[in-house]
Amino acid sequence: MVDVAMVGAGQTKFGNHPLGLKGMWAEAIQKAIHSVDNGFDSTDVEEAFIGSIAFGGSQLGNTAALLTEHSGMEGVSVRRVENACASSGFALRDAWMAIKSGQADVVVAGGIEKMNDLSASRKRYWLGVSGDTEWERLAGLTFPGTYALTARRYFHEFDSTHDDLVHVSVKNHMHGFENEVAHLRKQVSFEKAQSGFMVADPLTLYDCCPTSDGASAVILVADHLAHKFTDTPVWVKGSGAGSDHLALHDRPSITQLRATQSAAAKAYKTAGISASDVDLAEVHDCFTIAEVLATEDLGFAGRGLGGTFAREGEGRRNEGSVTINASGGLKSKGHPLGATGTGQAVEMFKQLRHQVEPERQVRDAEIGLTHNVGGSGATCAVHIFGRER
Amino acid sequence: MMSIQIISNGSQHMACSQYGSNWAGPDGDRLTVLIALLKEIPAASINLNGFEEHLEFSPSVNVQAIIEESTSWMVDEGANNYLHTDKEAYCVAISQSTDVPNWPDFATKEYDKTMQDDLKVQWKIEVEGVSQGAYVSQAQHTISAPSRLGLRAQIDGERLIWPPRQLNAMGQRIDSEGKQLSETATILTWTRLSAAGAPSEFSNRAPILDGVATVLVEFDEGPKGVFMLADDESVKPEIDARVHFVLRRLYGQDGMMHYGLKAMLSKS
Repeated sequence: MVDVAMVGAGQTKFGNHPLGLKGMWAEAIQKAIHSVDNGFDSTDVEEAFIGSIAFGGSQLGNTAALLTEHSGMEGVSVRRVENACASSGFALRDAWMAIKSGQADVVVAGGIEKMNDLSASRKRYWLGVSGDTEWERLAGLTFPGTYALTARRYFHEFDSTHDDLVHVSVKNHMHGFENEVAHLRKQVSFEKAQSGFMVADPLTLYDCCPTSDGASAVILVADHLAHKFTDTPVWVKGSGAGSDHLALHDRPSITQLRATQSAAAKAYKTAGISASDVDLAEVHDCFTIAEVLATEDLGFAGRGLGGTFAREGEGRRNEGSVTINASGGLKSKGHPLGATGTGQAVEMFKQLRHQVEPERQVRDAEIGLTHNVGGSGATCAVHIFGRER
Repeated sequence: MMSIQIISNGSQHMACSQYGSNWAGPDGDRLTVLIALLKEIPAASINLNGFEEHLEFSPSVNVQAIIEESTSWMVDEGANNYLHTDKEAYCVAISQSTDVPNWPDFATKEYDKTMQDDLKVQWKIEVEGVSQGAYVSQAQHTISAPSRLGLRAQIDGERLIWPPRQLNAMGQRIDSEGKQLSETATILTWTRLSAAGAPSEFSNRAPILDGVATVLVEFDEGPKGVFMLADDESVKPEIDARVHFVLRRLYGQDGMMHYGLKAMLSKS
């Protein structure tokens, strides 16, 4: 079967971005094209998959065609992929499958979201739009609320306290401090993160990722074309996806994400590796408790030991058993919903080619993993990347 | 169990909230007091007697459906149990007389008058507003009324399912006629959202109420669900605590008031 190589990747800075939608997408595509070592012509693109939730309501239909029109890809077969915060993780998977199936040789996967140009009253648009509207949102829940329910239950079931979440927050802010594309480039002390403003008890402001603008894109090609574009492709060695009940109350357990477990199992299997082979992982830490669960569900920590994993610094860059969120994760790098998944892939492209800022480089990085979750765990896409095919 | 006061006099039952006749509480009104009263007295048929005209806002699901889904009472325009209320008092009465009763002096639990005034304003703003995000239509509220108001669960083989689902894995539509869940449950976890974390429907009231508390509960029969907490101003939820359910205002939108069940901590 065809292997898939990533030969280019680019993204905007995440944050409160001055550019509009079309401008942000153009910047991400331009950076992806310019990152291709031997040059790239966007008219070679056969398929494009663009993840986005809704742009805050500004362009609900035919979003993808609007974006490709503004990035020199008129006429390409394109569509928007929507799976909440995992939209571009699934766009990446769709692109991978398009090449794997032999239907296309050159494919773009990307994502975009513009969240900060809405009026104060419209900004609430984003709260609770991807949970179970009828049975969760209208019982007062948004994602801070659903993850707060999870955190409190996790503390009840396992040997863990809110301080474990503080360790996640401090680590990710430390990792993101040196990342020039991160939204929140500031270090946070343990004491400050411990005493943040309560958003959804027990989660404070320092447990929650910011709402960011951003766009990201990667260029995937079939194996026989990889070396036409670069001598150092990053291979997409494995891909897996899963889903679960949309609402927390329908799940057998709320302290583990079956969608992640299922996606990870498939991704490890297609890549022919296990969790212990992974050097670095970009995991979906929309809330700090989500990173704790992810370390368990991805196999880096045992069941109920994610809090201990965080407390003991196992995810710190070049210190622990596997570097978790070298980019700063959603907590520090930012979370432009639809752009987050391929933003993780951009980080992996640079880390595995040893092209990030020297302070951020994960030593001897050979195999990386990305983990992109939709909502409170209804959807999940996991990808495995490697320097070797 | 009760958060209302009832005075019964032979065939006449009068009720108001714990706050007396001037206020029905942060998320109460004449309809929520009525439903609480109907649950406390033997069921029969009731003549609405123009009751809807005394509600401040139109309910998204009609009053007859709310009564019949939430209680064992039936609505019948020919019934000789007449429903009474008026615009001056948050009291309701069920009487076999067509005459409006003289409202007694109900005891009044102390409350913050400023909070009452603020909430009244915010409810009005909320009802007049439109959704800033996800949205549930009036039709959908009506479709799900048996589950939302009556805790009607579906039976699929050995499983009880609530809230309702469409198809099972065999591609068969799951029968909507099922079993009513008991109105008691156990808290599995809880949170209190600040205004910053609350959906737009609740964001105006959340600062006044010092946040919105939500609990994930497990019914005694097994299904789980999330509910807002009612009357929690002076109590804090705990995991494993028991709750029961009361009908309250959930939120207002598009000129209508949406009602549903909220969880209330049971006294141990």
